[in-house]
Amino acid sequence: MTLATRRGLIAAAMALALGVSGFAPRAAHAEDYPAGPLTMYVGYKAGGQTDLVGRAVAKVLSDQLGVPVNVVNKPGGGGVLAAHELQKAAPDGNTFLFHANSVINTEPFMMKRIDFKPDDFEYAGMITAYQTSLATQKDAPYDDLAGFVAWAKENPGFSFGSLSPTSRMYMEIIAEKEGLDVNIVPLKGGGDMLNALLGNQVALVLSGGIHYKYPDQLKTISALTTFRQPSAPDVKTIEEDGYPLGMDSRTTLILPKGTPREVLEKLSTALKACETDADFKTIVDAADIPIFYFDLDQAKAEMEKSYAKNKEIIEGAGIEPK
Amino acid sequence: MRQADIWSGAGLALVALLVLFVVIPTQIESAPDGYVSPRLVPQMMMVLVACLGALQAYNAWRRTPDGDGSLPVTREELLALAKISGVFALALALYLWLSPLAAGIALIAGALIVLGERRIWMIVAMPAGLLLAVWYLFYHVLGTALV
Amino acid sequence: MEYLISGFGHVLNPVTLFWIAVGVTLGYVLGALPGLGKATGVAVAIPLTFYLDPVSAIAMLIGIAKGSAAGSAVSAILLNTPGEPSSAPTALDGYPLARQGKAQKALKMGLFASVIGDFVSTLILIGLAAPLASYALLIGPVELCAILLFSLTFIGGLSGNSLTKGLIAGAFGVLFATVGIETETFIPRLTFGLLELDEGISLVPMAIGMLAVAEMIVQAGNMRALDQQSTEMRDGKSREDRVVTGAEWRRCLPVIARGSLIGSAVGILPGLGASVGSFLSYGATQRASRTPEKYGTGMIEGVAAAESADNAVVPASLIPLFALGIPGSVIAAILISALVLHGLTPGPLMFQQQPQKVGDLYAALLCASVILLAIGYAGQRLFALVIRVPLRLIIPGVLFLCCIGAYMETSSVFSIYLMLVFTLIGYFMRKFEYSFVTFLIGFVIGPNLELTFRQSIQLLDGKAANLVHHPISIVFILLTVVTVGLIARGNSRATQRAEARAGMEKPKEEQLHI
Repeated sequence: MTLATRRGLIAAAMALALGVSGFAPRAAHAEDYPAGPLTMYVGYKAGGQTDLVGRAVAKVLSDQLGVPVNVVNKPGGGGVLAAHELQKAAPDGNTFLFHANSVINTEPFMMKRIDFKPDDFEYAGMITAYQTSLATQKDAPYDDLAGFVAWAKENPGFSFGSLSPTSRMYMEIIAEKEGLDVNIVPLKGGGDMLNALLGNQVALVLSGGIHYKYPDQLKTISALTTFRQPSAPDVKTIEEDGYPLGMDSRTTLILPKGTPREVLEKLSTALKACETDADFKTIVDAADIPIFYFDLDQAKAEMEKSYAKNKEIIEGAGIEPK
Repeated sequence: MRQADIWSGAGLALVALLVLFVVIPTQIESAPDGYVSPRLVPQMMMVLVACLGALQAYNAWRRTPDGDGSLPVTREELLALAKISGVFALALALYLWLSPLAAGIALIAGALIVLGERRIWMIVAMPAGLLLAVWYLFYHVLGTALV
Repeated sequence: MEYLISGFGHVLNPVTLFWIAVGVTLGYVLGALPGLGKATGVAVAIPLTFYLDPVSAIAMLIGIAKGSAAGSAVSAILLNTPGEPSSAPTALDGYPLARQGKAQKALKMGLFASVIGDFVSTLILIGLAAPLASYALLIGPVELCAILLFSLTFIGGLSGNSLTKGLIAGAFGVLFATVGIETETFIPRLTFGLLELDEGISLVPMAIGMLAVAEMIVQAGNMRALDQQSTEMRDGKSREDRVVTGAEWRRCLPVIARGSLIGSAVGILPGLGASVGSFLSYGATQRASRTPEKYGTGMIEGVAAAESADNAVVPASLIPLFALGIPGSVIAAILISALVLHGLTPGPLMFQQQPQKVGDLYAALLCASVILLAIGYAGQRLFALVIRVPLRLIIPGVLFLCCIGAYMETSSVFSIYLMLVFTLIGYFMRKFEYSFVTFLIGFVIGPNLELTFRQSIQLLDGKAANLVHHPISIVFILLTVVTVGLIARGNSRATQRAEARAGMEKPKEEQLHI
């Protein structure tokens, strides 16, 4: 075979590659939405709690909208990387991010390189809330924050398990105000945290809600949200205890800036179906994740409110972004 | 191997010093008081490498010359490295500016060609077969998107 | 016990067995294909857990996990490209065996060791999950720190010809593992402002580049010699070379037993992973051997040690999941969602509330071990043919699969860049004889050691005297000191010998084994 024909074949293969990749762009009219498969980013690795909820949401959205919804994990920087990727996508509703809203309302104050603001994205709604709280062993000699502070004053050098900068900030604010002597033990990931707590290594941790799966071994002493938590309605929030530190974090459908309102409304309506979907309920119930549906307008308002509040708390605590 | 040991030991010791005095100070901020410094572990490792690298070079230099001054990398091996790097560079360029599919074809067909495969049917069939299999598995069987 | 027996009744039906077999086969094939492995299996499995009926989904997931752990030995032995980092020690002796025409023997030993390790560990899971898990909770950061310190002393045995070079490679492994946001101060380290590096250098693309792609390039450079060797070498000239002989069984059984126990222990402990298990088992076997210097030239015991521990980690990592609800591995984390859909919430309550379903699960686990043996045995003849395929056809396929495998974990081209960077590093490490095994050990153990050290300082309130409350850690610290002392004493002679050997020009054939 001659060199010329070989070149010709390679050129033909290249042309094929071009042709296949150059599928006609999808109709951009919002009334036709969705015209094809949708892509849903999740900013964590496959297998985590948020990923689990995200995949359940994708299934409901797919049933509601009648098109496949593909989940693509883009882990990195607590969701920051996925949010950056999202900003590069076309604002047509075909690509969106399912993530904790902390990526926009908390991360910018913790990381130097991030400057997201609520206005940089559109929101189609929120579906679940994280039950962030202070948790300890069932047999610990304190049941609420006041009791814990009293115990801690008598036990200087106690250990607190910390998973995140926010978690460290909480303990530092409380310790400074009450004059506690605390050793803050760094922990990596939810499994590490449960090990430390169940193994009696630390006296207290800040948990994202995973400890509610162990009602026999663990208990909650303070809810770090602005609302009392469905899994422990008798436990007071930290604000009720006199610290204005309640920070809510919710899983949110985030879209690129400029996505048409019709598209957002369609997604918002489809997301509402999660509230009543039986499979979805099984999954979130087993993980003790409460459903709090917010439509697109409520989501936007919540985003702005929590952004302002978190900014005040974190900057008030004197945290320097790193 | 004696020559190579001297040079690689000395080179690594230099790299370690460079990392120790230039990269670590600029890339890792120092921590506030009361923490184990985040720089500590990287610094320990680079001090270790600097010492061991120097030791390796010294030990090799002390050994009697074995008369083997050649590099441990043969010409064919360097050539293979260059060829395959070229194929990867082409595939990445196609991925970034054209399409993932084109990149996949270029990678497989390109590697076949530089490794000396000259049968046209193989150069066509192998990329087609592999890409089809991957596409079928992910897009059809699993219903997820790969790119 | 009666639940386990009736569990077999529920599992031994064509549908469930079919899905276990699908899972095992898929896992085995993914594991055997270089570049693909557990990470790919996970990505494949997640969508299925939502669309398959729960019993089958769980059985299949377990099958994938077990299959990929066993399958990764195939590419390690035949191509010197471990399908997963945990099979890197398998390649050390498996590949030389294959080059001596004993590929089938090595493959068989790898499979038998995998299945035995797997089965033993599954029995431990079934019999001792609850008590072991509560003992494992006694192992806190202080104890873990001491255990990790001790396990680092195994680096010596794995460094190849030169201890100095092995240590240098290990130190670089630790350095690369520090990249990313530090867990205590949340200060990014060596990320050069790249957000992609905030969570550190991912093991998957790193290992693929260093273990598979770099090896392929080395082989491409020696293609003619290797291909000629393959054609001359008539695989299985004598029956001896194809089967595991009785004498070999006698030598390997204690090794497999030790590997199974080490793997099970590593699986129960939090956050260590299969790689640590197989490295430790290989290192311990070599140290216990009367002829440690022969390891790396085709000792069948090396294959048995690495593979038995590698597979034993998988069922053992389910112990914390079942007994405490703590996922010990990625597979375990995904298993949670499948279990939940099945109405089983992992944790201590599971045994009281749903004993029958736990019995079903255990039966499925045991069946998967047996099916693994059958499928592995049948597949090997097929896989062993790979050795006759000329390298110019194998290399392009492997490179492509490596890219897919690296890309899939994060769905970003950045992983490919990482893979290529480590390909270059791995290539020159091979050529200059720096051990990539010690590099991997440093990379895997280093960050755990640093984290547990930071945790220990806080837990001990900064005072070494508080160690008296942690007797387990004192034992391991003493063991470490004694071992280091022994190595230092016995080493001066060994180093001289090794360096004299390194100084001599080696036969061409041996160079190809690396």
